[in-house]
Amino acid sequence: MNAIVLDKVNKWYGTMHVLRDISLTVATGEKVVVCGPSGSGKSTMIRCINRLETHQEGSIVVDGTELTDDLRSLDTIRREVGMVFQSFNLFPHLTILENCTLAPIWVRKMPKAEAEALAMSYLERVKIPEQAKKYPGQLSGGQQQRVAIARALCMRPKIMLFDEPTSALDPEMIKEVLDTMIGLAQSGMTMVCVTHEMGFARQVADRVVFMDRGEIVESGPPSTLFEAPKTDRLKLFLSQILRGD
Amino acid sequence: MVGFGRWSAKTVALAGMVAAWAVGGSALTPARADGTGSATLDAAIKRGLVQCGVSGQVPGFSLPDSQGVMRGLDADTCRAITAAALGDANKVKFVPTTAQNRFTALQSGEIDVLSRSTTWTLGREGNLGLEFAWVNYYDGTGFLVKKSSGVKAAKDMDGATICVQPGTSTELAIQDYYRLHNMKFTPILIQELSEIQAAFLSGRCDAYSTDASALATFRFSQGPKAADLVLLPDIISKEPLGVMVRKGDDKWFDLVRWTFAAMIIAEEKGITQANIDTFADSKDPDIRRLLGLEGDMGKALGLDNRFAYNVIKAVGNLGEMWDRNITPMGVPRGINNIWTHGGLQYAPPMR
Amino acid sequence: MSDRTQPPAGLVGPIPWLRKNLFGSWISTAITLLLIYLIAKIVIALFAWGVVNAIWRVPYNQNGIAQTAICQDAKGLGACWAVIGDKYRLILFGRFPYDEQWRPAIVVVLFVALFVLSTIKAVWRKGIVSPAVRYIALAGAGLILLDNLAGLLETIAAVGFGQHLPLPFDLLAILNTVGKCLLIAGLLLLWPAIGVWVGTLALILVLMFGGILGLAPVAVDYWGGLPITLILATFGLAFAFPIAVLVALGRRSTQLPAVKMLCVVYVELIRGVPLISVLFMASVMFPLFMPPGINVDKLLRAQIAVILFAAAYLAEVVRGGLQALPKGQTEAADAMGLSYWQKTAFIILPQALRLVIPPLVNTFIGFFKDTSLVLIIGLFDLLTMGKIALSDPPWQSFSTEVYITLAAIYIVFCYGMSRYSRGLEQELNKARGR
Repeated sequence: MNAIVLDKVNKWYGTMHVLRDISLTVATGEKVVVCGPSGSGKSTMIRCINRLETHQEGSIVVDGTELTDDLRSLDTIRREVGMVFQSFNLFPHLTILENCTLAPIWVRKMPKAEAEALAMSYLERVKIPEQAKKYPGQLSGGQQQRVAIARALCMRPKIMLFDEPTSALDPEMIKEVLDTMIGLAQSGMTMVCVTHEMGFARQVADRVVFMDRGEIVESGPPSTLFEAPKTDRLKLFLSQILRGD
Repeated sequence: MVGFGRWSAKTVALAGMVAAWAVGGSALTPARADGTGSATLDAAIKRGLVQCGVSGQVPGFSLPDSQGVMRGLDADTCRAITAAALGDANKVKFVPTTAQNRFTALQSGEIDVLSRSTTWTLGREGNLGLEFAWVNYYDGTGFLVKKSSGVKAAKDMDGATICVQPGTSTELAIQDYYRLHNMKFTPILIQELSEIQAAFLSGRCDAYSTDASALATFRFSQGPKAADLVLLPDIISKEPLGVMVRKGDDKWFDLVRWTFAAMIIAEEKGITQANIDTFADSKDPDIRRLLGLEGDMGKALGLDNRFAYNVIKAVGNLGEMWDRNITPMGVPRGINNIWTHGGLQYAPPMR
Repeated sequence: MSDRTQPPAGLVGPIPWLRKNLFGSWISTAITLLLIYLIAKIVIALFAWGVVNAIWRVPYNQNGIAQTAICQDAKGLGACWAVIGDKYRLILFGRFPYDEQWRPAIVVVLFVALFVLSTIKAVWRKGIVSPAVRYIALAGAGLILLDNLAGLLETIAAVGFGQHLPLPFDLLAILNTVGKCLLIAGLLLLWPAIGVWVGTLALILVLMFGGILGLAPVAVDYWGGLPITLILATFGLAFAFPIAVLVALGRRSTQLPAVKMLCVVYVELIRGVPLISVLFMASVMFPLFMPPGINVDKLLRAQIAVILFAAAYLAEVVRGGLQALPKGQTEAADAMGLSYWQKTAFIILPQALRLVIPPLVNTFIGFFKDTSLVLIIGLFDLLTMGKIALSDPPWQSFSTEVYITLAAIYIVFCYGMSRYSRGLEQELNKARGR
């Protein structure tokens, strides 16, 4: 079964048409990287998948359930879709451990001890178990983003969405986050990732999707897209971002 | 986490408790007019208390002393009425009222009688559904000036600034007076009693005007500095300060009226709080009827025959009420004396 | 190069600070000296007036009337603290029966204890959350409800139909008291903070009302002074705060337009009207609309007015905090599948409320002092009792002394709140800082 199916999705902000007839299918276990110039609608599209934004036309089916205004189906979907944000969005008034155990305890109704063990295992996986009792404000940017990934994983989602996860990080911290994401990809997670990190795309992506001005222009395996771009728009984009990469 | 259903049950329980307490806690006593023939008296008997509206902030009339006990002429009036109604002056409940809510408190039943130095006017008696049972102080609007100003009479005060409290009959009286004599004045309106006094003393206004009794009290309170203040001899308005009751309860009206009559008759006859028991074997028929030794004076009013005895035992005769509360302020009794001494207090005979 | 752990000695410490800030230049030195001279002069004058030349007692004549001539003579030279000595019980406790004034005294102490206890963090931790304790609390609430329900039914029967219901009212009354004890005990165990609050408030009401446990009953009309101020402020703000949070959340609701409109209307209506007019409506208009004989207690009316008023202002403060929260927090909570109430309780409110501690405490302090407006409905709070004390003719000229004392009392409470809020902020920020 396909993990995510977008079918002729259209969205307007007032009169501005931000998503035009988006159709995209993501299979289970597939890793899709979405790239494109700013304002192309890539963040909007990914945020429609867990309904942080609502679409006006077309249908989005996630894990077999269609996204509508029904609150209960929405909660079900959101449990299975984890999201990592550009600005981390950790909860500053809770410790790292509490950040990670909050959703498992209250949404999945896990007992506290079990949730904490789960959280510690994921914190080890992102290689910062010793920070468990600290507060987000005491961590570096790279560490915070890795916690955000662990926090999303604690819900054991079937799909992970990444919205420009490294764009707000200092260059020396990007690698540690990308390494975490690569490890995650290798474990078989379905991932949709909006990013400018082409090296990461080349290494991990099954498919790269190029968006511009609200529509999907080209899509294909990374080698094809980067080596043999078909459209002028993609050629222009690649020339702008690839500088000896 | 406790399931939603459980929480809502508890919330409902607590909400219900609050609502029930709010409703159940209030006094739900509909007044029914049988028994004594007076709805107010019946309610007071059932309650065990007479609710008496006073000011609570005017020295000499109603002000709590340092022990918190309400003292003053209006307060003693309340006690007298309570002694007549329930036989025990301590069964009075003093309800402080402001100038704004005094009438609605009486109209709505929150108080049984308003003893708050309210001026008896036609407007009030005609428009409020309330009426005046008796006057316990014949007062009038006066002026207080500084001796240094040299003013000797009200006619010298053309163009003066006068400190007065807004919304009082004083304000209206001054306007009428000045209009009548084609003079001008500038009112300085100050609500707060202490502020208006301070304004006058500091020289912000040339004169301070309110009821002459309050002016005399204020002047007296200045101690040695009282000599610097002069109370002008002109009383420019009639301010009969009286006790108010609701219209439609005639027997309660009678009770208040005859309470005063009893105190005046007692003073005529020389009966005081101290010596009342010595009159038990008096031969004077007036005294015998007053004290309930013969006749059915009380019963005719729906009260105990000893109602007048109870009143005088509780607060004394009219003169004693005055001496206790007003004389220490340094105000001469003047027209507030009983008729045999040249004043206006005259009681119909009790027979 | 070794680590230097301290800056050079000549740059830190009190003497260098003085030298730099107060005596830095000639002008600075001149101004400092001038101000020192003026401040010393004022302090000495105040000390002379307030302590050295003050009169602490006056004689009384045989009628018990104070002879304040010596105070009048000393006016301007020495304070007349004798007014406080004569009137302090009247000012603090109003017309509460003189012999029973130990009860409002204990009530004031209880309030202070309540405030101090509430600042201790341990009290706010959850207690024993077991089903047994929950049942105890529910049982208590149920018994109370049962008795009130029976009373309500009896009233309906009596007023509506003229009948009496054959219910065991005495037994129900006893069960009511038992229920109250159970409820308080249950709450104490479940969550000490709530138990402490409910228990203390219940104790305060018992002490003020009397009528049980051998205490003489005292009607609400006789309450006055500091207990009235504290009751109105504490109960008022304690109830207003949850209402304010709900109204603020309702105002920001996107799903329920009817709720949103209701909240907007409520807040704008209350904010457009002075508190005094709300109190006036409550005291003057309200009794006219009630059927004769039904009297909703004056204090309750004032209390409800204060709660509604405070809730509207607090709602706007809380809404400011909600708006200031970064949108990403809500999004992250949504993305994890938290429900609206989970998100609000765990993520949004803790952060939003922390952001608005200064304006919240500001509003609290303002309302604490606004309680003096209940004068308009014939309730005598602390400030009004001060004025009444001053109405007594012998003491009419000594308002300065009385108002200084009242100000001192208000300062103690308001500064306490202010200090506490600063401590709270520092502690909360410690957790978040690097």
